[in-house]
Amino acid sequence: MMSSPAIETTKPARGRTFGRVLEDHLPYLIIAPAILILLLVGLFPLVYSLIVSFQHITMTENDTSFAGLMNYAELFKDTRLWAALGHTAIITVIALPLELLIGFLMAQLFIDRMPGRQLFVALLVLPTVISPIVAGATWRLMFDVRFGPVGQILSFLAGEPVRILWTVNPAYVYPAIIICEVWQWSPFMFLLLLAALSNVDQSQLEAAELDGASYLRVLRAIILPAIAPVVAVACLIRGLDLVRIFDIIWALTEGGPGSMTETISLYTYIQGFSQFETSYTAAIAFLVIALLTVITTLVLKRMELAR
Amino acid sequence: MRLMTFLGAAALVALTGAAAPAADKDAADIAVEAAKKYSGTTISIVWEAGLQSLDPLNYSGPKWEKLTGIKVKVVEVPTDQMFTKILQDFKSGAGAYDALNVIPSWMPDLARAGALEPLDKYVDKYGYRDELQDIAAAYRDNQMQYDGKIYGFPDDGDVMLLYYRKDIFEDPKMKEAFKAKFGYELAPPKDWKQFDEIGQFITDKMAPKVYGAGFFRTAPYPQYMFQERFRMEGGKFFNPDTMKATVNSDVGLKVLTQMKAENKFMPPGVEQWNFVDNLAAFLQGTTAMTISWPPYGRWAAGYGSGEEALKWVPKSQVAGKVGYALTPLGRPELGVGFDLSVSATSKNKEAAYLFIQWLNSKKTSLERVQLPYTLRDPFRISHYASEKYRSVWPDAPAYLDTVKLSGEKGLLDLSLLQQDKYDEAMTKTISSLWAGEDPKTILDRMAQQFDAITEKVGVENQKAVYKVWAAKPGAYPQ
Repeated sequence: MMSSPAIETTKPARGRTFGRVLEDHLPYLIIAPAILILLLVGLFPLVYSLIVSFQHITMTENDTSFAGLMNYAELFKDTRLWAALGHTAIITVIALPLELLIGFLMAQLFIDRMPGRQLFVALLVLPTVISPIVAGATWRLMFDVRFGPVGQILSFLAGEPVRILWTVNPAYVYPAIIICEVWQWSPFMFLLLLAALSNVDQSQLEAAELDGASYLRVLRAIILPAIAPVVAVACLIRGLDLVRIFDIIWALTEGGPGSMTETISLYTYIQGFSQFETSYTAAIAFLVIALLTVITTLVLKRMELAR
Repeated sequence: MRLMTFLGAAALVALTGAAAPAADKDAADIAVEAAKKYSGTTISIVWEAGLQSLDPLNYSGPKWEKLTGIKVKVVEVPTDQMFTKILQDFKSGAGAYDALNVIPSWMPDLARAGALEPLDKYVDKYGYRDELQDIAAAYRDNQMQYDGKIYGFPDDGDVMLLYYRKDIFEDPKMKEAFKAKFGYELAPPKDWKQFDEIGQFITDKMAPKVYGAGFFRTAPYPQYMFQERFRMEGGKFFNPDTMKATVNSDVGLKVLTQMKAENKFMPPGVEQWNFVDNLAAFLQGTTAMTISWPPYGRWAAGYGSGEEALKWVPKSQVAGKVGYALTPLGRPELGVGFDLSVSATSKNKEAAYLFIQWLNSKKTSLERVQLPYTLRDPFRISHYASEKYRSVWPDAPAYLDTVKLSGEKGLLDLSLLQQDKYDEAMTKTISSLWAGEDPKTILDRMAQQFDAITEKVGVENQKAVYKVWAAKPGAYPQ
């Protein structure tokens, strides 16, 4: 008999709680199906690759038995893999600062209003919209020892025939790749940095000018701190792209001479789709994912600290 | 007894009568008749992209459809991706391809994987065995079977030929000067020492207008040249007892050193030359000797020069001036080739089989190897002897005789399990050679790579396959 009033009071309370919970979480409930699908689409291949990396699947064997860490142990013995990682690092370490520097200089040049600025900017950005495989093929023709304009210009400047085997001679093969890479992607840096420079506080620049600060002082004290977040993001995007570089090298050298310019992407492709080492390729992919995750985390952490 | 005799005679008459129509018809007609029941279906065939595929696109595909009502869908795939695509289709079980073009050295891998349909039952059912005997022995005996079963019909007489400029070799002043210097006649080289001497001599006399020789130096040709020269100088790829690679022997070193040295009397930049660069140089008269596949000979003679599809081929400046010979040391590499096969996952196996029997038959193949715009080379005894083919240009008889002789003496491409990996190691080795790396270092590296591949495939498995390959008459010079 004593319990009935209590029941009467709790019923509406429960109803209110459910309603409030529903109200609080409605946005999450609405987006939940989309997130679930995204996770499935994004995670499934990752999880599947992870499973495959612990199996024995090759060209002729569909052996899905558990291989333990065999494929991962193999990674440490594979000298060609580490060489490919080294080649990737060389290209990244040289091309990234060059692209940044050239992009910055171009942005500085175009920050002031000038006649035909928009047209020049549009023309300068053209290489970025070309497919990398086309850029590589075009530069292969440009470097051709008989008909390529690069050789002809160098011969004209030298006053005698200059015959450089850009895609064969070990001394020139990296410069060839880096020239092509920098030609194509410096405009990307240029665009981002042009936007960043446009947003630098003009009043600070004017005040510095009135105070008689030198350009280098202004650059160090005002411009660089202002554009630093954009530079960091631009370097991160291009750095990740460079680690995955494939098309340009495939078109220019196919990783040659020998395996001298074989990057990690080329090597992964060859292992996976030419030699059908499916499980081993999955292990390589996870090694690359791990490396990129570490690098990205470190960069983001640094950006966070800087902020 | 009379009854038995009567029944026996009746059976004989019945059998003869039944067999008579088949005996009257050739393999092409039999395939067409049998295929009519599949009229309205579509079969797909994997074909090498580019000129090769103009055969089924422009000629054989439409003709087959007209004869049988079966449509042919041509799936063009670049050569270096064909193996991958075929295997991917098989592994996925998609059955996207019905008929296939297969490079013979891939046959062990594809057959063992189960990707190719054994063809023996169809060959017997449609009476094709007799016509298979017309295929030149080098291809028929070496490129048709794996483990005693037919998996493909050899359909392309790929083999390397030496092409040389007759006008230069027969020039009295050149002949006299050459004999005075070297003590023997200026003639197609019998060995590589002669090749080097002749090449250097012509370059010294005529460069930069004409160089002694030019070669296709980018992948895949140089690895076939290495295979041929290495074996002809006495080299063996493996120790048959241990399956350890023996390519880094003194013979390997000699061959690589010679190959590298030969670039010096070839046009500058030859290290970068591909098939077309080399073709253009020879057709424009810039090189006096080259070694390549049979289409060079046809195009050098101007055969097919009016064809739209061949507009990219430079107009031959050397028509009527080209001689044909065996490559130095007389045993040329067969170099690639194509088989026609049926995919094990095809849903139209019989229709696909009938199409490839018709394509490969004496009658149809003779027409196909004469198509000027495709790259199919003569591969049947009847092709070499064809009066029609021999009258196509003045030197065609000499050309066909040399193609035939080269085929008869041809050396097989190395064909092991996962051959593409050994091929890749060889290709990388040659590429490093052009880049100036020490030949001994790169040969040692190639041997290590060979051993690692063998280890991974399984030494005993590979040993068994190598034993079968090495026992073939075209594997090593006797």
